[in-house]
Amino acid sequence: MPYRPTKLCTPIDHAVSRRRILGLGAGAAAGAVGLGGLGGLTQPAVADKLKESDKQVLFVWLDGGMSQLESWDPKPNTRFGGPYRSIKTSLPGVHFSELMPRSAKLAHRLCLVRSMCTQDNSHSAGVPRIQRGDPKNRGVIYPYFGSAVAQLMGPGKSKLPPYVWIKPGSGGFKHQDAGFLGPKYGSLAFGDGKPPDNLLRHESVTTEEDDARNALRQRFNQRYGQNRRPAANEANSYVYDMARTLMKRQDLFDASTFSKNDVQRYGEHDLGRHMLIGRKMLEAGVRFVKVNSYGWDTHGDHFNGTASLIGKFDQAFSAIIEDLYATGLHKRVLVIAMSEFGRTPRVNGHYGRDHWPEAWSLAMAGAGVRHGHVVGQTNDEGTWVTSDAYDIGHMFHTWFTALGIDTRFAEYDNNGQPLPIAHDDMHPVKEVLS
Amino acid sequence: MPYRLTFAAALLTLAATAAAEPLHVTIDRLIEAKAKSGGVPIAEVCDDAMFVRRAYLDFVGMIPTDDEARAFIDDKSPDKRVKLIDALLARPEYARRMTELFHVMLMERRGDHDGWLKYLRTSFEQNKPWDKMAAEMLSPNAEDEAARDAAFFITKRLEKYGQNPTDYPGLTRDVGRLFAGRDLQCAECHNHLFIDDYKQRDFQGLFIAFRNLSLRRDVKFPAVSEGLIQTKAEFASVFNKRPHKTGLVVPGGEEVDVPMYEKGQEWLVAPDRKKKITGVPKFSPLRELAARLATQENDLFAQNIVNRLWFVMMGRGIVHPLDMFHSENPPSHPQVLDALAKAFVAHKYDIKWLLRELAMTKTYQRSSKLPRATTPTKPDRPGPEAASSQNVPNQTFTVAIERRLSAEQLLWSVLRATGEYDRYHKNDLRESLADRRKRFLAAFANIEREPEREFAPSLRAALFVMNDEKMLEFLEPRKDNLVGQLAKMDDDGKVVDTLFLSIYSRRPNDAERQDVTAYLSTHGKTDRAEAIGQVAWAMLASTEFCVNH
Repeated sequence: MPYRPTKLCTPIDHAVSRRRILGLGAGAAAGAVGLGGLGGLTQPAVADKLKESDKQVLFVWLDGGMSQLESWDPKPNTRFGGPYRSIKTSLPGVHFSELMPRSAKLAHRLCLVRSMCTQDNSHSAGVPRIQRGDPKNRGVIYPYFGSAVAQLMGPGKSKLPPYVWIKPGSGGFKHQDAGFLGPKYGSLAFGDGKPPDNLLRHESVTTEEDDARNALRQRFNQRYGQNRRPAANEANSYVYDMARTLMKRQDLFDASTFSKNDVQRYGEHDLGRHMLIGRKMLEAGVRFVKVNSYGWDTHGDHFNGTASLIGKFDQAFSAIIEDLYATGLHKRVLVIAMSEFGRTPRVNGHYGRDHWPEAWSLAMAGAGVRHGHVVGQTNDEGTWVTSDAYDIGHMFHTWFTALGIDTRFAEYDNNGQPLPIAHDDMHPVKEVLS
Repeated sequence: MPYRLTFAAALLTLAATAAAEPLHVTIDRLIEAKAKSGGVPIAEVCDDAMFVRRAYLDFVGMIPTDDEARAFIDDKSPDKRVKLIDALLARPEYARRMTELFHVMLMERRGDHDGWLKYLRTSFEQNKPWDKMAAEMLSPNAEDEAARDAAFFITKRLEKYGQNPTDYPGLTRDVGRLFAGRDLQCAECHNHLFIDDYKQRDFQGLFIAFRNLSLRRDVKFPAVSEGLIQTKAEFASVFNKRPHKTGLVVPGGEEVDVPMYEKGQEWLVAPDRKKKITGVPKFSPLRELAARLATQENDLFAQNIVNRLWFVMMGRGIVHPLDMFHSENPPSHPQVLDALAKAFVAHKYDIKWLLRELAMTKTYQRSSKLPRATTPTKPDRPGPEAASSQNVPNQTFTVAIERRLSAEQLLWSVLRATGEYDRYHKNDLRESLADRRKRFLAAFANIEREPEREFAPSLRAALFVMNDEKMLEFLEPRKDNLVGQLAKMDDDGKVVDTLFLSIYSRRPNDAERQDVTAYLSTHGKTDRAEAIGQVAWAMLASTEFCVNH
């Protein structure tokens, strides 16, 4: 049988990583901030400061691949442009597809990158690859962006679970996202917006009784903790506190508490409802909220399918951007809307567009990024990037920086193995940062 | 020269004592000597209540009943701890506890298998030596009906999961980790980057034993067949592409050459597809591996298992992490490791004997409470202070480490504590028990392939304890269960005592008695059962219950 290396340790770029791991790049290593995989912090002051930060993230994931040509980077009246027109936006000289009239009015709030060029054109590999920031292979599975932020920044003052994922379908605790950081940094998924098992207080226990029994529990713990090492008791108390905080916020996902006006503005469809729950979570202080929409892989009948999808996205996305600005939350919340790749300019035989990682767009807004700005461009037919092309690693650097995490110094500590938090040959895109 | 003579005589006596010194005495001597030379504070030997709970959890996998705890605490005989250890080791639940422990340790929640569990159970009932068990797992014999299910260790790992191909390298890694304490994963494609001892040859040489295995489909029990290996394995580092060859490399052993047989002579039993005969090659790398790993000649093999059992009893490996045996990660107490391994081999790999010796040590019996420091830490607050945790790192083994309870230990203990254990072991509740086990596993076990070592509380577990209906059902008053019995009592003092003995395996102190009495007094007669249930819940949800302290 031919020898095949495992998926875990494919030999890409090891030569360079070896040099780094061995500490030959002494400058970088000396200034490294250990952000321990096990929570061990070698420079607690810096890490603590991050944990006190009030920065949050809204990550809108359009699974399957949003077409840049029918959204942020239209090329009307060209060979591959498709049937839709482009419209003016609130940003002079910048056009969006006519499928996004609401977002067009908010273009002065957004920061677009039209020069994304990434490495993977398959979904199964591309989705995790992009969400893990596609770092160099070091034989470990990197955390998704949400898990990374959860580990680096913690739950913050809200004490709510730091990484919440609102999605259609099943919910629960999704440990896979966390990679080497360990299952506790996985996401808490609200499947179809609904809470995970056992989140609802059991009917036999009233609020008062619940408070009383927990006060007693805390008293027992306090006594137990006297003269003992603090770690176990603190960790145990922490998860109960978080569970109770979350239980008390059932309004966050109880649709009956949402205003009719909001429900209509966000749209009476999954993405609209989930975005509205996302807004509630952000208002409640959840560190990282991922709102997920599926079904964007329009290989056939693309132009009808995408019109429907983008219409829903435009409605929900513009509503939350408006609200974040209206409440001032945009100063805290970094917003990112993206897919694992774009779609082919060439239209296939089924009136579809296929996968196109070579030249695509994503949108950002809010904390740490420039407002009303477009980075990069593609050629006239939208087939290739003609400016500096950016990979997902650049975006990870940029987003971490926008959140106040200096990617030159911050490193994970994976049981003694120092690991960069973003691709070590890439850098933040300065143009994006405010 | 009377002085010299005396000295020599003294030396002789010393040597004689050392030779006869029981292992548990040696361990304490070495641990204490190191602590004293480093000025590390040493905790008191724990009280009887802490001991009885700890010993029950470790040897029968659950806390004692209130009667058992009370009887032990009130027993006045000086040798009661040894007696308890022996009594627990003789109980039938010992084999269940060991089965659960080794199943989780070796299979890491990949799934259950009746035959495999029965194999483990029978082995521990017979107190089968570890070298024999290891050999049965690593080189399974399909002809041996009593032991053939040991193959599950390998066969489960040969199954495909999801869309992944059969993970032969993963199996290789697990054998290195679990039987020799060496995680060779990162040496698959090159020498390990920061562990000099782990060479690519070590991985590739061990890989030979597994890369040619296939699952046997012709039998109902777990079984593997080995392919033919006629040449050394070729490999090259991804860094320099230089080609190398290796025969079978056994961790902690020498390279075994691959024998050459003339064509037609390679098979002991030639394979025949038409007759559905599985071939058996003359050269069996699994047999070679088992013979050279599970043997007295192989130090690593004994060191690995004693380190693991030490971890089980003490909460941390002498070599830690457990899978990181190499020269740059030295043992915290090399002489202890050495003494354990040598004695274990001398006692023919007798697990029960080793656990007994460990339980006899003062090191095992230390309190988990930090010792009082002799000097005040703050000048404005004179008087004794607890030593800070920084003063007593886990690797000194001078203060008991709080250990994780497995989902199984928690299930049995919750059933015990709430007085539901016997009811759930009646035949008509067999299905319910299976359901409760499933729920506890979902709440407290790690995910597949994730070793369960540290105490790792989770939001999932907290939500389960707070809100799961079946969890709360244990606390509803029933004729025979804890809450039901206590609700019938009028004497608050007795209620509190029974609660504490049933759940914490100890009596309450005055402050606790006051707390609980006050809580009960805020509730009237009608909802007394509920109030007792809430106190019991608060205790079950507290840290004191959910760790082995």
